[in-house]
Amino acid sequence: MKVLLVEDNERVSRFVVKGLREAGHTIDHVENGRDGLFYAASETYDAIIMDRMLPGQIDGLGIIETLRQQGNRTPILVLSALSSVDERIKGLRAGGDDYLTKPFAFGELLARLDALVRRLQVDAGATQLSVGDLHMDVRSRKVSRGGRAITLQPREFQLLEYLMRHVGQVVTRTMLLENVWDYHFDPQTNIVDVHISNLRQKIEIQGEKPLVKTVRGAGYMMTADS
Amino acid sequence: MLTRFTRSSALALALGYVGLGVVALALFALPLWYAWRVTVEEYRVELIQEDVQRFSEVFARRGAEGLSAFIDERVNLQIAGDRLLLLADPSLQPLAGNLESWPKEVPAQPGIYTIDMVVVGHPSRVGLVRATLPGGYNLLVGRDITHFNPLENRFWLGLGVSLTVLLGVGIASGWLVRRVVLSEIDNISHSVGAIVHGDLSHRLPVTPRGGEFNTLSTTINRMFDQIEQLVHGVRNVSNSIAHDLRTPLAELRSRLEEMVVTRPSGEELNEGLADAVEDVDRVIGIFNALLRLAEIDAGAQRSGFVEVNPAELASRAAEFYRPAAELKGISLDFRDAAEGVRLAGDPLLLSQAVFNLLDNAVKFTPAGGHIRVEAARGDSGIEISVGDDGPGVPDEEKQRVVERFYRGDLSRGSTPGVGLGLTLVSAIASLHGGRLDLTDNHPGLIARMVFDSLQPGVQAAL
Repeated sequence: MKVLLVEDNERVSRFVVKGLREAGHTIDHVENGRDGLFYAASETYDAIIMDRMLPGQIDGLGIIETLRQQGNRTPILVLSALSSVDERIKGLRAGGDDYLTKPFAFGELLARLDALVRRLQVDAGATQLSVGDLHMDVRSRKVSRGGRAITLQPREFQLLEYLMRHVGQVVTRTMLLENVWDYHFDPQTNIVDVHISNLRQKIEIQGEKPLVKTVRGAGYMMTADS
Repeated sequence: MLTRFTRSSALALALGYVGLGVVALALFALPLWYAWRVTVEEYRVELIQEDVQRFSEVFARRGAEGLSAFIDERVNLQIAGDRLLLLADPSLQPLAGNLESWPKEVPAQPGIYTIDMVVVGHPSRVGLVRATLPGGYNLLVGRDITHFNPLENRFWLGLGVSLTVLLGVGIASGWLVRRVVLSEIDNISHSVGAIVHGDLSHRLPVTPRGGEFNTLSTTINRMFDQIEQLVHGVRNVSNSIAHDLRTPLAELRSRLEEMVVTRPSGEELNEGLADAVEDVDRVIGIFNALLRLAEIDAGAQRSGFVEVNPAELASRAAEFYRPAAELKGISLDFRDAAEGVRLAGDPLLLSQAVFNLLDNAVKFTPAGGHIRVEAARGDSGIEISVGDDGPGVPDEEKQRVVERFYRGDLSRGSTPGVGLGLTLVSAIASLHGGRLDLTDNHPGLIARMVFDSLQPGVQAAL
């Protein structure tokens, strides 16, 4: 995919540009707000990574507001050193699609970027989800694997649904916390891992192919082919 | 000693008192003086003028010789009393009266005068009127007022004595104030200086007899208690930060150094790097917790307050933690006794606080233990509590476990953690106008956050 990075910090930029190129993406990098707005408005990107504090007359939130007013719907991931909940809400209200606090792990950035871009491609309203022989009927809240019915707690159901809707993508622990539990902070615990492990025990009983893969240093990925 | 006195506030105080006394004295003396002038002098002048009037009439009727006779008659008959009478011709040669010559002290112009002159060999003070009669004759009528002098002198003497006494008392009281009061203040400031420069544990002496200076000493001692505590706190915090950051940094360092030496390749390198990143994440985690604490302490997040259902919040947190507890063989249940009350708050911060309490509970409760999360409507407000039947916290440590970076002996070294958890909970509770209480669960610990419930007015303000 083609990504625009608007970031003035040299180290952060080098790290992001290198990482995204290695992941096979095309990336344009600009260092100030004016150029950022120009590129974002004149080219077509799959996603924009936008730092909040930028030199050059207009800051990150200003660019986002301008783009949204022009009807530009490109997914935007806001980067910021400002971590408080208020700042996060400000970033999302300006029209950002996701908010990532510096310092961040590259895996986290990549996973969130993927999720933002694919959100536009997949059918969010699908009510029948399948990964391999695992099947979920969202309406009737029924889950089965190869004909075996699986009983899940409501939260486990939500967790599985999120994983299945992001099949083939890396989802980080923070993404799960935010989207499944609606906890927008880092609880500094490994509780998410425990929930995943419980879920695995229910959907991957002995002899069955594992569906939820652990991605080291990033999070988890649901996939049918391992 | 003298320069110390002149520079001290005692001098200013004494001078102030003396000045005040002088002003009071002047206020008392001036009206007296004025009354004296007006009543005595004016009355005297009036009498003299009446005489002049009478003599002028005699002169008009009987001429110079008639007046001379009239005056001589009076002088001879002793009617004149203490009066001075003199009639002189235009060249100032005396014609009649009880003065031998025209006194040269009298000014040339007619008028009313008070002058010092020699009367029959005696230096006297005289009030007199000089009048010019038709034909250039000069008339002098006066009264010896020397006998008033002692009275006046006594008045001035009295005033002078009062002033001297006043000055004396003022200076004496200045010395006294200096010696008694200011020396106490001096003592205090010396002691404080000594404490500031050296031993923070030293305190000002407090005597049981009470008084303002004791109150002052007590207050200053309390201030020192606070300062000592803060200094200790800062020292502890920096020690703990150093300790808690050094461990992951040391691990990181040895990991990296090992890789520099062994130059691993492929999978091994990746693993080493991933571990190194994890070490760094731990350090960042500590800093994030500190920053969050600072933010909460500054009350920066109060703007995000909304209506919160404490029972739902606590039950969600309990549900989130249940698998982790069960994994350790601990049962975890939730009890809702909140009767549907609401509170005004930041749901994320409150969740985080409950998480921290649950984290501690899961960490310290042994297998087979039990954790109860409860949202309740208590006597003093809404309570969210997490109780466990773990080892608990000894009473003497209950205060300290809330302190920044404090970690009980039990947790240090054996359990992972930064030592900020309860500090954060306490900060979040006070941000919401509540507090964190730690009580015994016999056995175990109940950590309870107590908040005010949402008042209708608060709800309107949200």
